[in-house]
Amino acid sequence: MPLDTTSTYSTTLLRLDGRRWNELRKISASISTQPTADGSSLVTTGNTSVVCTITGPREGRGQGDRTNAIVDTDINIAPFAQLDRRRVGRTDKRVQELQTTISQAFQAHLFTHLYPRSSILISLTVLSLDGGLLSTCLNAASIALIDAGVPMPSILASITTGTIIPTDNSLSRPEPVLDLNNAEEVELPFMNLATVRGQTGSEDQISVLLMETRVQMSEANNPLEIMLRIGLDGCAQVRSHLEEVIRRHGRRMTQGRR
Amino acid sequence: MKSLKRSFGDSTANISSKVFIRSLKSGRVQKVVREQYLRKDISCSSQLCSACASNAAADASGNVPKPVLSRQPARTKSFPTGHYIVPDTNVLLTGIDLLEHSDAFYDVIILQTVLDELRNRSLPLYNRIMSLVKSEDKRFYLFFNEFRAETNVVREESETVNDRNDRSIRKSAGWYATHLKAAAKKNAPAIVVITNDADNRRKAEVEGIEALSLREYVSGLENADHLLDMVAEGQDRAVQGELIYPDYFTQSRVQTGLKAGVLHQGVFHVSPHNYLEGTVKVPAFDKPLLILGRESSNRSVSGDVVVVEVLSKDQWKQPSSKIIDEEAMNQNEGAEDEGEGSGPIITEGERKALQEEVKSAHHAGADRAQPTAKVVGVMKRSWRQYVGTVDASAGGGNRQQTVFLVPMDKKIPKIRMRTRQVDQLIGKRVVATIDAWDRDSRYPAGHFVRSLGGLETKEAETEALLLEFDVQYRPFPKAILDCLPSEGHNWTVPQDKSDPGWVGRKDLRELLVCSIDPPGCQDIDDALHARQLPNGNFEVGVHIADVPHFVRPNNAMDAEATSRGTTVYLVDKRIDMLPSLLGTDLCSLKPNVERYAFSTIWELTPDAEIVKADFTKSVIYSREGFSYEAAQKRVDDKSAQDDLTAGMRHLLRLSKLLRAKRMAAGALNLSSPEVRIESAETSNETGDPLADVKTKASLETNSLVEEFMLLANTTVATKIQSVFPQTALLRRHAEPPVSNFADLSDQLKRMRDMELDVSSSKALADSLDKCIDPEHPFFNTLIRILATRCMTSAEYFCSGSHAEPEFRHYGLASEIYTHFTSPIRRYADLLVHRQLAYAISYEGQGSEVVDEGLRNKNKLENVCRNLNFRHRNAQHAGRASIEYYVGQALKQRQAKMGDEGVVEDGYVMRVFENGAVIFVRKFGIEGVVRLEDFDLSPRKKSKKDQRTENEEGLITKESEFEPENYALTVFEKGKKDTTGRRIELFQEVKVRVSSEEKGGAREKGKRKVLQSLALLMTAEPTTMQGVFRDMTPLSISKLDVADSLEDSPAIAETGGGDNNTIWPPRKAPATAIAMSPTRIPASPSVLTQDKALRNKSHLYIRNFPYAAQGEDLRKFFVGHDIVSTSVPVNPRTNRAVGYHFVTFRGGADAQRAVDALSGKLVVEQEVFVQITRDS
Repeated sequence: MPLDTTSTYSTTLLRLDGRRWNELRKISASISTQPTADGSSLVTTGNTSVVCTITGPREGRGQGDRTNAIVDTDINIAPFAQLDRRRVGRTDKRVQELQTTISQAFQAHLFTHLYPRSSILISLTVLSLDGGLLSTCLNAASIALIDAGVPMPSILASITTGTIIPTDNSLSRPEPVLDLNNAEEVELPFMNLATVRGQTGSEDQISVLLMETRVQMSEANNPLEIMLRIGLDGCAQVRSHLEEVIRRHGRRMTQGRR
Repeated sequence: MKSLKRSFGDSTANISSKVFIRSLKSGRVQKVVREQYLRKDISCSSQLCSACASNAAADASGNVPKPVLSRQPARTKSFPTGHYIVPDTNVLLTGIDLLEHSDAFYDVIILQTVLDELRNRSLPLYNRIMSLVKSEDKRFYLFFNEFRAETNVVREESETVNDRNDRSIRKSAGWYATHLKAAAKKNAPAIVVITNDADNRRKAEVEGIEALSLREYVSGLENADHLLDMVAEGQDRAVQGELIYPDYFTQSRVQTGLKAGVLHQGVFHVSPHNYLEGTVKVPAFDKPLLILGRESSNRSVSGDVVVVEVLSKDQWKQPSSKIIDEEAMNQNEGAEDEGEGSGPIITEGERKALQEEVKSAHHAGADRAQPTAKVVGVMKRSWRQYVGTVDASAGGGNRQQTVFLVPMDKKIPKIRMRTRQVDQLIGKRVVATIDAWDRDSRYPAGHFVRSLGGLETKEAETEALLLEFDVQYRPFPKAILDCLPSEGHNWTVPQDKSDPGWVGRKDLRELLVCSIDPPGCQDIDDALHARQLPNGNFEVGVHIADVPHFVRPNNAMDAEATSRGTTVYLVDKRIDMLPSLLGTDLCSLKPNVERYAFSTIWELTPDAEIVKADFTKSVIYSREGFSYEAAQKRVDDKSAQDDLTAGMRHLLRLSKLLRAKRMAAGALNLSSPEVRIESAETSNETGDPLADVKTKASLETNSLVEEFMLLANTTVATKIQSVFPQTALLRRHAEPPVSNFADLSDQLKRMRDMELDVSSSKALADSLDKCIDPEHPFFNTLIRILATRCMTSAEYFCSGSHAEPEFRHYGLASEIYTHFTSPIRRYADLLVHRQLAYAISYEGQGSEVVDEGLRNKNKLENVCRNLNFRHRNAQHAGRASIEYYVGQALKQRQAKMGDEGVVEDGYVMRVFENGAVIFVRKFGIEGVVRLEDFDLSPRKKSKKDQRTENEEGLITKESEFEPENYALTVFEKGKKDTTGRRIELFQEVKVRVSSEEKGGAREKGKRKVLQSLALLMTAEPTTMQGVFRDMTPLSISKLDVADSLEDSPAIAETGGGDNNTIWPPRKAPATAIAMSPTRIPASPSVLTQDKALRNKSHLYIRNFPYAAQGEDLRKFFVGHDIVSTSVPVNPRTNRAVGYHFVTFRGGADAQRAVDALSGKLVVEQEVFVQITRDS
């Protein structure tokens, strides 16, 4: 059996890949990666990388909503993305749920009323997967939508956050961790969290919260609360990084035109 | 918590990745890629270093770990400035006992590389190292070298993983050395790599790193003499001398063989009577395979998971009918001679024994021969620490020499170990481990761990016993005691009903509750009440101590209780599962105090039919704490007319009805006679020490408590199963396979002409009732004891892991069962309490934290596995304790009275070719009487005379063994007619039991006290004399009668050896399926039988050779009355389709044919015969 986080963390304060509790994996992002698409991006978080292309806003065929654009999502996980070569079909319930989650998040977040009777299609292709699937997809879609020029109030940034609940001594506090990789997702309870920036002076707002693992609740040290608190910081951190990517891209564009 | 440390700019440079390839069980290969973030803030954790301390990272709450490694580490001659130790994986694997030693090995750096490898190799050792790391006094530091930028090592091309790891260890050590030099200048401690790999040491020398082998390092320590004994035999020792044992098959050959079904995997068990004979129960066959002789068992130790290959048919043998004892057989062997392993694999004595066996196998004819097998591989060693004594034949002196450690457990071979302190070890109980068993060595090699103290001292023997049965006996640490209520003994039920403790609790204080327990019982789990309701029905309540109120899930106390599993009762000591504040005070339902309880309350009709059942948490006030005798007296006392007594009489009457119902349903009455030992202290003053040993009397009140506890358990089981269909913690007792009873039925039939019907528990109960010998009232009990041994053991399980029909408790004839009534002493009950509390939606105190284990099937299964293991060990330990006590009592008596022991009634339980197993009722023990110990003298001689005769070899005894009649005739050589004494199975004999301590090397080892025993036939006034060599008491001293049947040691321990093991998972034997049709007409009414006779009946035959024609079928059914046969043919290929039909005149004939022929071999195929469904 290989080492695990729970048994050694309390003595070393190091995670399985050498990070501390509050460190993110290396994020690299770029936009306009696919010239043919309306908007596109490539986001890599550690060993997870996702390509996103946006089609639209364009006329929605047979679309009934006369006041808003409809956001649709299509996730395609490459067979070689995971440890085992495995084809993930369209009927996969888990993928369908992620699609709905992403669609709903952006449906509420984007200024869809500017594009009545239109549709916006977010196509996500997962090239490799090492934890943080939903978060990386949300981040990729978010900046690809900016690339496509769909107006939104702020970047929707997402992160996963988990807790290490010490097994040997229940009296010590659960330790939060940010941005889990696949090995940690298997071992620890974790949640996906996405926030949008609040109005000036107010706090960030949570737009997506998805938790599929079980966590033990206790009154004194509520692990959920701890996870949420550090997750909010994590999202802000991711957002500032994505904003920097957008700014850099903008600078390059303006310089190129000159 | 705001700031995030890592900024993205600088992180990019420090990412490395770890790529490795692993192969899965399915044979596929996976490539795993893991990121590694390299950093510079991993502390060296030395108190000398200030740079690391200032740079150290904090956890989420801002705590920075303190430096672990000492400022002034231990100095030795070669390291005058002190040293830190860096062991490699192999050293951890072989020298863990040394690392745990309190005299040496402080300031140890465990590298991540090493820990990772260790965890892959052995999880238990990993856990031991982790607990060393967590204990602060040993100063072990876990250094994650792979994540520190300077010490990270990337595997080079064509470098093996081992070489990379060695390089990584050297690199870390080198870094530490330079790092500390920079921090502490002159006084920098040395960094010492300990590795047994010579190549690694050579490379280290080149790189300027101190590297020593474990032996070299330990020799440099101050108390080297002492510690050197604990260094494992070098594994790098080249194989010398003759190779005695065959090599194991390669891993891939084993895997292919297992898949193809030619090799089999199972747990190796050694026979308690013959150390050269072992069995392996494999899923493929009903009966265990025999492993005969050292060569076949090929270095496997009892308990190992082995892979076996079946031997050819000409090598099949019948199991030995001889008692062979290792200590007696090889007593003159010196460990030194064998030291280099040049001796022959089989000693002369063993060789003789083997010849005898061959003779008997030939004599008995081939039909009784059983398939034998040999071990070709070991999947998993179950080596542990063994307690034993050092064979004293070796001389003294302080030089290093090789000695044998003779383990207490007779099934374990002698362990060869090197020691320099033979003088100190002789006459002591010694703990040792096995390190290796090479092909060139007859016995396994091991090393000394520690000495427990003198032989036969109470402390040493008790500790030996607890170690041997893996009972956790250390006092509860502070972390656990912190979980207790702060009020301590002053805790009371809050008077204010608005207190949170009262939420969801019923006030039952006005009920007339009393408890009935064995005398002197301190941990009172249960109390009862009964009263008549206005409608004529009865309200009966069973109140169980509310332990979960004090033991909250997942705290330290709960974790400890989970691992202890049960309280262990020894004769003079109780090893508690929970701290005694809870067990004997706060939870104990003592009289005249208010206590929290969990109550089950039924409404029963006067006929003891359940109208309804309720569960509630409650507060009770027990009016009286009776002992069984006192309760009986009170009930019998006509003058007592108070309400409490009336309630008890109701209870008694209802319990009798319940018992009758249970018996009618087929519950087995298997109660083995239990011996109780009363207050060990008094014996020293009053005359006869043996007076303490008493057979347990059974009173009506015992059965009263038992019945209601069974009822409570069953009711609760149904309730929790309905709420947790997948994860209810239940207890089952599987129906024993019919084949288990084959021997006993045969013996009964031959000896007494009695039938044992094992078709159902009811049938078995009935036929057991008929096994009565009017002259020997004990005969029935004897048969019951033997029958109990044929059964499987009851076990805890998680309801999701078995199909519902298999929930059945065979012994109790209950469809569903669990343990609910003793949460103070059993962890299972505590879990069931939690499940029940959840099931009734209890909302009060303690319900906030839900135990994860209640819903997680995997977790619960693990808990069950542990509970079953602990439960069994606790029973074994209890029995061993009685065994020791009886031996001591006999010894004291002899010393005091100066006589030759006591003459007692005994019963022959098993007959061997050279002895017999005799059961002594009074002490509840059984022992072996050997041929040479039979007393044949016609007149009564004094023991002294006999002794001299025996010793001088005046009488040579011979025996004639009749395996078919289970009888043995013993006579003096050549004088069969005059001196012959015949004993046979089940016979009642007189035995003289005495304690006897023999000197010499031979006996020192295994048993503390030998029981000498003389046989006197009841019929004739002649005596035989025997020696009890190995006693196995059948009972435990303290048992709650509540489920004495349930707990009866017999049930827990019966059946073939493999019942005691967890691995491999038991599968229903194939015959159970094939034979099931035989059980359908178990009790056909006359009418249906007639019908069956009139109608024709068809049989369906499968697995019959393809080429067979109608003729062959007729031949196969020869002796049965067939009407016609039919061989269906595939019209396309014109070949037989492989199944056949045979028509019989009637169902009865057909049934007989099925019984006789199903499973019979034709051309090495098991033929499957079944009645067709339509007939």
